[in-house]
Amino acid sequence: MLNFDWLSGVSQETAKLIFFGLYILIGALVLMLPNEYVYEGIKKEDRHWWNNLKLWSLTVLFILATVYYQF
Amino acid sequence: MLAGIDYFIVIAYIVGMLLLGLYFKRFVNSSEDYFLGGKSLPFWAIGMSIVVSDIGAMDFVGVSGQAYRYGVAVGNFDWVGSVPAMLLAAFVFIPYFWRGGMYTIPEYLGRRYNKSVRTIASATWILFFALDLGVLFWASAVLLNVLMGWPIWISIVSTAGVVGLYTYFGGITAVIMTDVVQMIIMFIGGFALVYLSLDAVGGWENMVEKISTMGPEYRSHFDIIQPVDTKSPFPWTGILFGLTFVMANAYMIGNQSIVQRCLTAKNEWHAKAGMIFGSALKMFIPILVLFPGLMAVVVHPDLADGDQALPMMIKSILPPGLVGLMFAAFFAGLMSSVDSLLNSTATLFTKDIYEPFIKKNANDRHYLKVGQMTTLVLLGIGVATAPISSDFPGIYVAIQTFMSYFQGPLFAILLLGIFWKRTTQWGGLSALVIGIGFAIFLNVFKADFFTIEDPFLYISWWSFLLGFIINIAVSLMTKKHTAAELEGLVFSSKILTKSKT
Repeated sequence: MLNFDWLSGVSQETAKLIFFGLYILIGALVLMLPNEYVYEGIKKEDRHWWNNLKLWSLTVLFILATVYYQF
Repeated sequence: MLAGIDYFIVIAYIVGMLLLGLYFKRFVNSSEDYFLGGKSLPFWAIGMSIVVSDIGAMDFVGVSGQAYRYGVAVGNFDWVGSVPAMLLAAFVFIPYFWRGGMYTIPEYLGRRYNKSVRTIASATWILFFALDLGVLFWASAVLLNVLMGWPIWISIVSTAGVVGLYTYFGGITAVIMTDVVQMIIMFIGGFALVYLSLDAVGGWENMVEKISTMGPEYRSHFDIIQPVDTKSPFPWTGILFGLTFVMANAYMIGNQSIVQRCLTAKNEWHAKAGMIFGSALKMFIPILVLFPGLMAVVVHPDLADGDQALPMMIKSILPPGLVGLMFAAFFAGLMSSVDSLLNSTATLFTKDIYEPFIKKNANDRHYLKVGQMTTLVLLGIGVATAPISSDFPGIYVAIQTFMSYFQGPLFAILLLGIFWKRTTQWGGLSALVIGIGFAIFLNVFKADFFTIEDPFLYISWWSFLLGFIINIAVSLMTKKHTAAELEGLVFSSKILTKSKT
């Protein structure tokens, strides 16, 4: 029980898919954030696509998923 | 051994760090300057500082050693073990801490639960940080001893002297700005070692082929996802449940030395961006600390102790000059971790222990002085406890073991505290105390409960789960907090739609 023996039937490939699913879920949650919230602290006239923190987050998640795809 | 030019680079680096750190003394005029940098720092400095504080001597030596023994699976700690947690911290927790004007994480717990929870959490972190200091000092001394033949105690005392001076005078601004330079040096030195090591093993493909044919114990060296029945400490279940769901979040959200950096930001965007920028930089850390350990499997296949992998690679691969740079990079990792621990522990002690219990309502200069004096005392404790880490087989695992005692229960109360308004002070207190007790129990009797080599990931998950359940059960049986008491402390969709100003 404490050793997660009950999950020993799950293959490494399936486990990897679970991780990919997690990244997709996080990405979807990030996309749902209102723009006003991710820009909070920046004046309206200084808000651009490059300081949109949603884009930053999705980029990092994409790199992370690529690393797990490679290994 | 180091050549003349290497000594020059190392000494120039140390003197440079000392001067740079001391430069920021002029900006410290109040306790807010000392602990929060006057809330004036930009995201790039915060992000770089978070990363370099998290990668210290233990990572250079310990992770390379783990990679030597177990392969790329150890990279999970910097990849899935950081990014999701840092995004959660950036978008949910940091805005609350930032808007609440807090200095410490236990301060949030104190407002959300009660003073006892704040004190226990703070005391636990102080204890952990003090022990961590000893481990870091020991790791540095071992490497210095291997590379330069310096006596271990001289290494420890000289490190403590340099870091102690600039942290004492410059506070967190000195810590963060020296971290920026330290990160750049660390990346240059680390990438130089990886580049030359790759050349020495005949390229990546050649290395993979050689390691894969070295025997059955190396077959899964390039599998980042390890099966449940692996003998290594990194089965995928432990990585998902223990690391991704619990330890990573507890570390990125509940660790004072990480979160405090975001609280120094000049505004909320910089606070969030600092964390996300840090998560991007974290993706590169395994390249610096993990790959040399893998390459050592080819170059030095018969090492008795995996922790010797990195020192041996430095000695055998790097030419004079680059050895000094790599050594400075290692020193950078060590110094950035030590200065962070010193400043964060001083903040915890001053704000959560000294101010509420020893001397209330003193003037600001007094608390500034207490913070500085605490830094010096901690330095002494770190130096004195350094030999303890020699009793543990792997330096990095030793740290994780210390952390797994309380990471799970701490994250359980943070998570429920911010997402469930029904959570009460007694629920939080019970979860913390019983959860930590359960984690210690599992650690003491781990041979009876677990089959993997070091079950710290499983222990953190099960102690989190027990803390979570106890928090809910006790909260439902005790009097709930009023709406006024919870104002600004519990997650609400309003924070997403309503700006601060």
